[in-house]
Amino acid sequence: MATSTDLLQGTLDLLILKTLALEPMHGWGIALRIQQVSKEALQIGQGSLYPALHRLEYKGWIKAEWGASDNNRKAKFYSLTRTGKKQLEAELEDWDRIAGAIALVLKGA
Amino acid sequence: MLSEWLTRLRFLFFRKAPGDLDAELAFHLEEQARANEAAGMDAAEARRQAGIAFGGVQRARGQSYAARPGYRLEMLGQDVRYALRGFRRNPVLTLAVVVTLMLGIGATTAVFSVVDRILFRALPYGHADRLVSLGIVHSLETQEFVMGNFYSDWRANQKPFEAVTSESTGPWECDLTERSPAQLSCEAVEGNLLPTFGVAPILGRNFLQEESRVGGPNVALITYGMWLNRFGLDKGILNQTINIDGQPVRVVGVLPKDFEMPRLESADVLRPFQVDPIADHKANGGYGSPRRIFALLKPGVTVEQARQEMEPLFQESLKQVPADIRQQMHLMVRTLRDKQMQDVRLTAWVLFGAVLAVLLIACANVASLLMARGAARRRELAVRSVLGASRARLMAQAMTEALLLAMSGAFAGCLLAEGLLRLFVSIAPPGIPYLSQVHLDLRMVGFTGLVSVTCGLLFGLAPALEKPSAEILAGRSANPAGSVTSASVRQWLVVAQIAASLVLLTGAMLLVRSFWKMEHEQLGIRADSTLTASVTLGSYNYGSAQKRMAFFDALEKRLRFGPGVIDVAVSDSVPPEDFHNGGQRMEDLVVEGRPRVRESTGELVRFRRVSPEYFRTLDIPIVRGAGFTEAERSSPDAVLILSRTLAERLFPGENAVGKRMQLGGSDTNAPWYTVMGVAADVKNGGLTGEQLPEYYRLRRDKAEDWECCGSWGRSGVVILRSSLPAEVLAPWIRTQVAAIDPALSVDVATMRQRVGKLADGPRFQTLLVGFFAVTGLVLAVIGLYGVISFLVAQRTQEIGVRMALGSTRSGILWLVCGRSLRLILWGTGVGLAAALMVSRVLGSMLYGVGSRDPLSFAAVTLVLIAVALLATLIPARSAARVDPMVALRCE
Repeated sequence: MATSTDLLQGTLDLLILKTLALEPMHGWGIALRIQQVSKEALQIGQGSLYPALHRLEYKGWIKAEWGASDNNRKAKFYSLTRTGKKQLEAELEDWDRIAGAIALVLKGA
Repeated sequence: MLSEWLTRLRFLFFRKAPGDLDAELAFHLEEQARANEAAGMDAAEARRQAGIAFGGVQRARGQSYAARPGYRLEMLGQDVRYALRGFRRNPVLTLAVVVTLMLGIGATTAVFSVVDRILFRALPYGHADRLVSLGIVHSLETQEFVMGNFYSDWRANQKPFEAVTSESTGPWECDLTERSPAQLSCEAVEGNLLPTFGVAPILGRNFLQEESRVGGPNVALITYGMWLNRFGLDKGILNQTINIDGQPVRVVGVLPKDFEMPRLESADVLRPFQVDPIADHKANGGYGSPRRIFALLKPGVTVEQARQEMEPLFQESLKQVPADIRQQMHLMVRTLRDKQMQDVRLTAWVLFGAVLAVLLIACANVASLLMARGAARRRELAVRSVLGASRARLMAQAMTEALLLAMSGAFAGCLLAEGLLRLFVSIAPPGIPYLSQVHLDLRMVGFTGLVSVTCGLLFGLAPALEKPSAEILAGRSANPAGSVTSASVRQWLVVAQIAASLVLLTGAMLLVRSFWKMEHEQLGIRADSTLTASVTLGSYNYGSAQKRMAFFDALEKRLRFGPGVIDVAVSDSVPPEDFHNGGQRMEDLVVEGRPRVRESTGELVRFRRVSPEYFRTLDIPIVRGAGFTEAERSSPDAVLILSRTLAERLFPGENAVGKRMQLGGSDTNAPWYTVMGVAADVKNGGLTGEQLPEYYRLRRDKAEDWECCGSWGRSGVVILRSSLPAEVLAPWIRTQVAAIDPALSVDVATMRQRVGKLADGPRFQTLLVGFFAVTGLVLAVIGLYGVISFLVAQRTQEIGVRMALGSTRSGILWLVCGRSLRLILWGTGVGLAAALMVSRVLGSMLYGVGSRDPLSFAAVTLVLIAVALLATLIPARSAARVDPMVALRCE
């Protein structure tokens, strides 16, 4: 977890929401997916994933259900709620704006 | 947004099953282990790597739990429960903190609520900050006034003011001559007074220009109080006509409820100042009629600048005044607030200072008590920190405790303050402005609470912030470096407390001694079984001296034959009150055969006009010559009695009896008076004022003897000596006055009550400051006790060693007492120095006691040292009783 410790909290939330937008997934799957998609560059501190998941659940953006995993084990699956979807759109917009602004500044400088 | 809240609410009430998270985490770890195994690790290594990749399971669990809504509330509940448990385990310390806060917050809030109205409240005028009162002051009239002619010059040529306005020197008694007649009080103001003050009538309008001219329409503004009491807030009063002093007057407006007259005088009716400028120019000996003037400073102009700019105008006006009077006249410009507060200001500041001292003591106490608590819990905090409590968590805990203490202290303090306020209002003398409107000042509760809690937090948080060291954990060091500094800070706090309470105590002692001297002052008159009835006659119904004489004559005759009445006398005033007309200048008394003195010495002479029985009724001995007789009342000769001081001043070494004098100054046609006798001196400048020389004129049955000086000539006092108690006589006197004129109000009081009223102010001050001093002392003693017992507890082991090595019990006693004696001596030393500086402020409030009265200082110092030593004796004795075996084994 050496390279990934400094993920901003908001960023982690965004990554989780984006990952869950595809399909319901359990915690382990989310960690794996983020790792794979980011080509191993973003390695989530697995320990900090669960507080984030719970926080999002308490906010009502995602909901959790027990289900069966690929290898038929009991696992907790998270999925986006309606507010969660809206929230994801809003956060993506924010992210684009900020990333664009930062890119502008960096290029300009 | 709404659904988010609903979700939170749901989770607040329906918690997740406790095993839920564990199962989830276990699944994660197993999956990771499986993945690792698939990558080729053996089972044990795969599990180990999975654990490493995950990080702290316990932390993840804790953080997930902390994400729960209501988590903070839960923590707070936990902290509160924990704190309460801690308080129960240490009730003495808890009680000490709460009592300290209660006394500190209660006392300071109560007094601040009173003082705030006097010192800091906004005056009820739109332009309150820029209003000043200005005028001439003179030894005979210490309240600024201006002659009409000077006023018109000043107003025309002044630069520093935006507007200048004035009112009459009233108020005067005026009679409402209607169905139910009543005596009112009227005041004349210039038409621009209300706009200058930034006040608008709540009903109707201000005076118009033409109403301020002579011969203009008769109009009046009435106060809210009168509107309420007399007309029941009826809006129909507007433009109605009421009869004042027999004239129809139209009511054009009602003043706001919170309006106060500029000099706080009580007036029911405002009339426009109708002055004919030409006629007034010649009035009052060519000076114009006197007024009180007020002005609105231009923005940015200070009072001092205004004074300097007015000085040339003042000097110019002075040229019209005879040289002998001129030198005693000065220009005075002061803010309206200063004028309204007069000498109450000093009292208010003294009380405020006392409040600050008590607050300081209370803060020091809370700080040192919480520090003691903190120091005793260093080990516990270290353990909790090592077990994983974050610094923030420990601080939150410490803050919860401090706030809990503060809240209970503040609550108790509020109750105390409310009670104290009621007490203050019931014992306060009537002269203190706004006291009746005083209410508990919640801002002040908040402020004192905040200050004490901040002190407490500052010192209470220190141990929570400390890094836990292995030494503390091991409990090896009973006296680590940190607690040594905190101990020395606490010792300095105790020194400061003792010093502050010494200052308070000396202040209180000086006031008590001064009050005692005042109470036991020789008045020179009989105060027992003597009753006075004061009446002020209206200028309309009693316009002529003849009518006034007739009234008092009739009253005297009626009262003479009352039940149990022994003597009856009539005078215009009674000692020892400060006679309100100021008196007369010494150089105005002209002795036959001596040249008239032109140079003024600034000496004042009081005078009274009395009936023959005055001296007998008040038991003032005639030491030379004879008193007035009944026969002289109808004689054409004018006669005089001098006080002993005046006789010695005017006729040193001679017999004053038989000498002839004029009382009119440079007026050579003034009547000649013959001195009949010399009376013993009486107190005549109030209880604390200087005793002035005095003379008595006989009030003969001639109208000219009832002619005097404006409204003062219309007031009189009937003095009665009776064998019946006052409660029986007072109602009877009222019926007698009412039988002559039912509209008059009469003020009946025993001589004792009148004298007592004069001591009301000092009694109030003494009581309040004394109360503070005792509060301060109690707090300081609590603090000292706390510090010493803490020191003893910390040194138990050392004491054990000393005893094991052969130290005796008295040796230990001395060890501990010596320590506290050092603190006490430091505190008294600092306190004495501060008290010597501060007591000078009290100088003008003291009577018969110097502000550095050695007796007071010595007594207070001794009392303080004795009480403080007593407070240390308890922990010192318990130190001496330490069993060396127990003490050595305890660590």
